[in-house]
Amino acid sequence: MKQQDIDRLITLEQRMKEIAQEYGLMTTEIDFEITTAQRVLEGMSYGFPINFSHWTFGRDYEKYRTIYEHTGSGIPYEQVWNFERPKAFLVETNPFALNVLVIAHVYGHIDFFLANRYLCHGRSFSDIAKEARNASKRFQDYEERYGAKEVEAIIDAGMSIKWHRNSDPFFEEPDEETVREELIRIERAKLERFDNIESKFKKLETPEEIAQIERRLEKLSTKTPPEPTYDILKYIINKSPKPLKPWMVDVLTVIRNQARSLAPNMKTKGLDEGWATYWHVRIMRRLFEEGLITPEEHGIFNNFHAGVTRESRAGFNWYRIFLSLFEDIKERWDRGRFGRDYEEEQSAQKRKHWDTGAGLGDKKIFEVRSFYSDRMAVEEFFTDDFIRQEELYIWAGLSGNNGEITYMITEDDPSEIRKMLKENFTHYGIPLIRVENGNHNGQNHLMLRHIDNGYELDSRYAIATLEKIHKIWGKKVFLITRANDKNETLTYDYDGKSK
Amino acid sequence: MPIIVSEPSTNRGKKDARRHREKQKEVIIKKLPEIIANESIITRKGNKTVKIPIKMLGLPSFRQKTGEDSEGIGQGKGQPGDVMGHRPGTGQPGEPGQEPGEDYLDTEIEIEEIIELMLEDLGLPKLEEREIKELLIEIGYKIGGIIRSGPWPLLDRKTTVQEGMRRFWCLLENLRAETGLDEITCFNAIKQANGLFGEALELIRQKSVMNSESIVIPFPIFDAQDMRYREIQQDTENQSNAVIIAMRDVSGSMDNMKVYLSQAMLFWLVRWLEQVYKKVEIRFVAHDTVARIVSEEDFFRIGSGGGTNCYSAYELANSLIESDYPTNRWNVYVWHFSDGEDGNTDRTVEEIIKLIQKGVNMVGYGEVQPEAEGKWFSSGRSWLWKEFLKKFNLSESKVDGLEIAEGKKDLPFLCIRLTQREHILPALKSFLKKDRWAR
Repeated sequence: MKQQDIDRLITLEQRMKEIAQEYGLMTTEIDFEITTAQRVLEGMSYGFPINFSHWTFGRDYEKYRTIYEHTGSGIPYEQVWNFERPKAFLVETNPFALNVLVIAHVYGHIDFFLANRYLCHGRSFSDIAKEARNASKRFQDYEERYGAKEVEAIIDAGMSIKWHRNSDPFFEEPDEETVREELIRIERAKLERFDNIESKFKKLETPEEIAQIERRLEKLSTKTPPEPTYDILKYIINKSPKPLKPWMVDVLTVIRNQARSLAPNMKTKGLDEGWATYWHVRIMRRLFEEGLITPEEHGIFNNFHAGVTRESRAGFNWYRIFLSLFEDIKERWDRGRFGRDYEEEQSAQKRKHWDTGAGLGDKKIFEVRSFYSDRMAVEEFFTDDFIRQEELYIWAGLSGNNGEITYMITEDDPSEIRKMLKENFTHYGIPLIRVENGNHNGQNHLMLRHIDNGYELDSRYAIATLEKIHKIWGKKVFLITRANDKNETLTYDYDGKSK
Repeated sequence: MPIIVSEPSTNRGKKDARRHREKQKEVIIKKLPEIIANESIITRKGNKTVKIPIKMLGLPSFRQKTGEDSEGIGQGKGQPGDVMGHRPGTGQPGEPGQEPGEDYLDTEIEIEEIIELMLEDLGLPKLEEREIKELLIEIGYKIGGIIRSGPWPLLDRKTTVQEGMRRFWCLLENLRAETGLDEITCFNAIKQANGLFGEALELIRQKSVMNSESIVIPFPIFDAQDMRYREIQQDTENQSNAVIIAMRDVSGSMDNMKVYLSQAMLFWLVRWLEQVYKKVEIRFVAHDTVARIVSEEDFFRIGSGGGTNCYSAYELANSLIESDYPTNRWNVYVWHFSDGEDGNTDRTVEEIIKLIQKGVNMVGYGEVQPEAEGKWFSSGRSWLWKEFLKKFNLSESKVDGLEIAEGKKDLPFLCIRLTQREHILPALKSFLKKDRWAR
């Protein structure tokens, strides 16, 4: 990029920041790094500007690069990280107008990062980018010392289960002894209650009841975990009887921390992209109106914008659909199309022309960006009208003879579509699985239980995942789940021998 | 300044992508039996690459069971029942990322690469580490260099005269240096002495040189060591030719599986030999009681009733080698596919011995019996197989379910018994192994 282009970009960036502030967006100092497409592709694949080596990252890199080089689409468009001092990439070979667009888009993201409660939480972990950069050096060292295959096996195992955690993103897993003490205190309190409370309603406690509580207390003193935990990786890091060597603990801890810091992004991906797209349109329009970009540049921007927000016949285009969602929310709240009166109105004609002049649109969209996750947004704002307006449907690939697959639209009922979206946005499609016992059979076997949410687990994947867990647990691992829509309990297990 | 120019890139992506491809290769090796037995591959012509849908690899995780059919959310005009598109079962690649189920990226594999993977699986060296097999062939005589001795008829006059002229000038210079006289006097002396240095010197000393010539007219002076003769050399050429003589018993019932098994085996043999030799020919011989040369189409199509004389095919192979493919110029591979029936095994054995004595690279016998039962090894082997075992003193073994009988030590004779698709890979391996192909 020529120095005069860089200078112009710096000027434009300053103006864009002011425009963002005028629109009420939160801003901060952002590092924009001008770099190669390759580095952006790496950033897209590795989750962080620099991260440790793993073949799954390489696979994604290869995929993005192939699409980028051969189809011309998937231009490395924007990469911005939710860091204390946020960082974004600009690609040196991208057209100037596209880099301006990226800066505008990034300002939308930054506001979202600063204001959305999930992303604020994601930022509360230690400096995750620095940790990733340091980890990349340490892991390389481990590879040299303990063998690349061995390190890969541990990374594989950690990555397989990295997303498993408590479904409350704000939940901080207390340490095991604290939980144990608390549970013991509760049981003791029950015993004391029998002793102390004088009441004529009080039943006389039976010796059985006391014995039961005492048994529970005894069990509690050794039970691990004292209470089931969803943070499988953390439990294994702390309790694995393998035992894990310090470098393995390090590898698994890095993987867990990265997943925890990225999880809030997953929970809000749609709103985040929709919000950034919503604002880049407005910021770019202002630049054009102020004569800071040429009509030609604005034309190039429009082209890219159209490409990014193109409808996808067989996919969910976050940019398009969540952009429409913010526009829809703004219009509805500006015209007062919410609340009981509106919802109970049967006349389509009246609904169509409904306008109370409420003017609450901006307030509402800023509220959504601050407090909502994607799932909450789907539940509340993906109305029948919105789903129809967006022409969403469910498709299925039906396999015929000779392996041919026919793709067909199978459903356009808004309530079915909403149901599917909600499922997709709950726990990012990750089943709830908890550690029930780390000393099963008194032999340090690991007992996991799948918490049924109406769906069966895929048995092949389940067994393959148990194999991975076995690699870092070292003893037999069990998984209890349910099969075939019946109340039949299924137990998978893996003890290190292939079957 | 918030806009900064970046530090250089790490190349980590490429390195890790290689690791992913390595892992994919491991998967391909596991799938090799399926891949090489794929009919759409073995019936294709020309094209050296095949497209195989290979799933991008992922890590396992606990996940919801989905039906066999994929589904998802889409956007656009249309209503339930509308068809959006198709994805063909084999062959055609889907555009990555354009269609649902983008997990499948159709990867192109060159046939050469498949063969390499087979080698890797066998623990054999890679192709680039091998040299093209070449034969040194004598094609007659040619005039080679110039030598100092030889028969008179091969005297190279031109070269000899050149040598003679050189001697003249040499003599002249030496004489001038020796006597300090002018060129003309020395020349006259040499001429008078008939080119003999000693005499010329004597003439000058006795001052009896007649100055008969006024300019130097050089003439060649011949000494025995100035004679130059042409050399006759044996003319040779490096050639890299291989021929497969493919023979098939067409008597009895034809069924698709038999055709398929021999076709698949031949396809891969040819592909393999093409990696090793510059030129590979293939001749097809069909036989019942008599043998004839047929086209490739007919080879896999025709059938006839009646008896079987395998020797007729081997006999025809012998005469083909004599007329068209002498073993000093061709690497010859003879492959015979039969169900093991034979009217005259003694003569068959005789003809095979002749082939081996001719120096063919190998004789392969593929017994194609898809309908045979598994107990075959322990119970009755086919008549022909038993004869081969006995007469050639073969050693029997079983590799990945494939029954093999092979010649001991240097006897280039390999018998395999193909009964199912899964046998193609071990059959090829037994062929590739031990450099059997490279004799």
